[in-house]
Amino acid sequence: MLFIHEFHKVVGTRAEAFEAAYRERWMPVLAEGSDARLAWYFDLAHGSGLAYRVVTVTAVRDGAAYARLAERVARGDLQSWARDLDGLRHETHSRVLVPLRWSPGFPELSEIPAGAASREPALYMEDTMWPFPGKLRAYVEAAGAVYRPSLQAEDARMHMHVALGLETMPGAGRSPEVTLLQRLSSLPRLITLLTEDIPAEVTGPGSWMHEALDLRDRWRSRLLRTAPWSPLP
Amino acid sequence: MHETHRVIGRHASEFEALVRDEWMVALAGGGEARLLWYLNHAMGSGPAYEVVTITAVADGTAWEALGRRMVEGDLAGLATRLDSCRHEVEGKLLVPVYWSALQDVDLATVPVDGRTHPLSVYMQDTGWPHAPLDDYIELWDHDYWQIMRQTPPEKKLLDIQACFQVAHGSGIRPEAILMQKIMNVDTLGRLLTSAEKHDPTTWPGTYMAKGLEVRDQWESKLLRTSAWSPLW
Repeated sequence: MLFIHEFHKVVGTRAEAFEAAYRERWMPVLAEGSDARLAWYFDLAHGSGLAYRVVTVTAVRDGAAYARLAERVARGDLQSWARDLDGLRHETHSRVLVPLRWSPGFPELSEIPAGAASREPALYMEDTMWPFPGKLRAYVEAAGAVYRPSLQAEDARMHMHVALGLETMPGAGRSPEVTLLQRLSSLPRLITLLTEDIPAEVTGPGSWMHEALDLRDRWRSRLLRTAPWSPLP
Repeated sequence: MHETHRVIGRHASEFEALVRDEWMVALAGGGEARLLWYLNHAMGSGPAYEVVTITAVADGTAWEALGRRMVEGDLAGLATRLDSCRHEVEGKLLVPVYWSALQDVDLATVPVDGRTHPLSVYMQDTGWPHAPLDDYIELWDHDYWQIMRQTPPEKKLLDIQACFQVAHGSGIRPEAILMQKIMNVDTLGRLLTSAEKHDPTTWPGTYMAKGLEVRDQWESKLLRTSAWSPLW
């Protein structure tokens, strides 16, 4: 499976039309075939970063399916959809990602709903890391062996789990780069993280925060809220 | 597959050798991908130690196979060594626009032996329209490419060898790219030192003026082929 991750700078006055273009055209059109499915539609939570930013994640079966989809957008039946979208956003930065070896399983494309669901929004923390030169593989292994299990520990500071761990497919984005899509299950823990200093024991020698500094010291967190109709909650 | 490498200055020679002696050779072992261009961003015209490579890949299946070899297969070690020589790489997948002279590449004809040749310089223009991308691509066709084709060879500054748009989901949209070989260095010199202002009010009807209807943001990069770049 491959994943198209898109970060859209939406025209504020056209935000609803932009969302409708994904909900009423992209999602159902993909659902007519077996190559791809819209998986998530997220709004970047207002108050936590740039305004009118949307993240979409589209799951694609494989490279051949990706090429077919790209051709449809460039000069096929989805060209007009893409043209309309050009008027609804300033620009989109996108990349094609591949799951990390230890990433949790992902549903079959046929299992992803394509109807307009309506549910309570869920909050995700999307972390993107840039390992030091030559440290990508070491970082991926360490994140799988140390960081991911730490989220499941009873005394975990954050109540969330990795829904998808991804790295850039060569040639289709920035590298070295790793993205973790993490679903939160406790808002109070997030508020604590945002409003209190991180305790010394969390950042001291022997901790993940400390030891992982040998592999990277730059990352970015985005707080993303699913749309009520997002195919995956 | 278009990649812009921010190379670590001290490892610049090692990086180039890895691409020439290992990456290009590894691709040559199969029939589904070839390194086409290895280009150094001309120092004095932009960032230092920046390299652009363009690799042709047969199709989506071939690209996925190549990517997985680099992530978890026999090319993972080489990928890590390349990573060690650069700060980062920014990649995007490109597809030719409908009027591009380059539509397909006969991979079997691309040199893979590192043979050397004179250097050539390309002007790579990347534009970001505020109008729909399709309108920008059409403008380039009608008002730039068609006119340039009629220019006598001796007066030509540029030869447009390829025009691309970004494959959906693999970079920026809206964005389109011109790969233009510089045919006349003297003309380039005049372009760089010209004080002409292409104000739309004083240049009505020109490409420069009409172009403002669809875009006012683009970037030109002067890229010089290495002596062994397969295409040059």
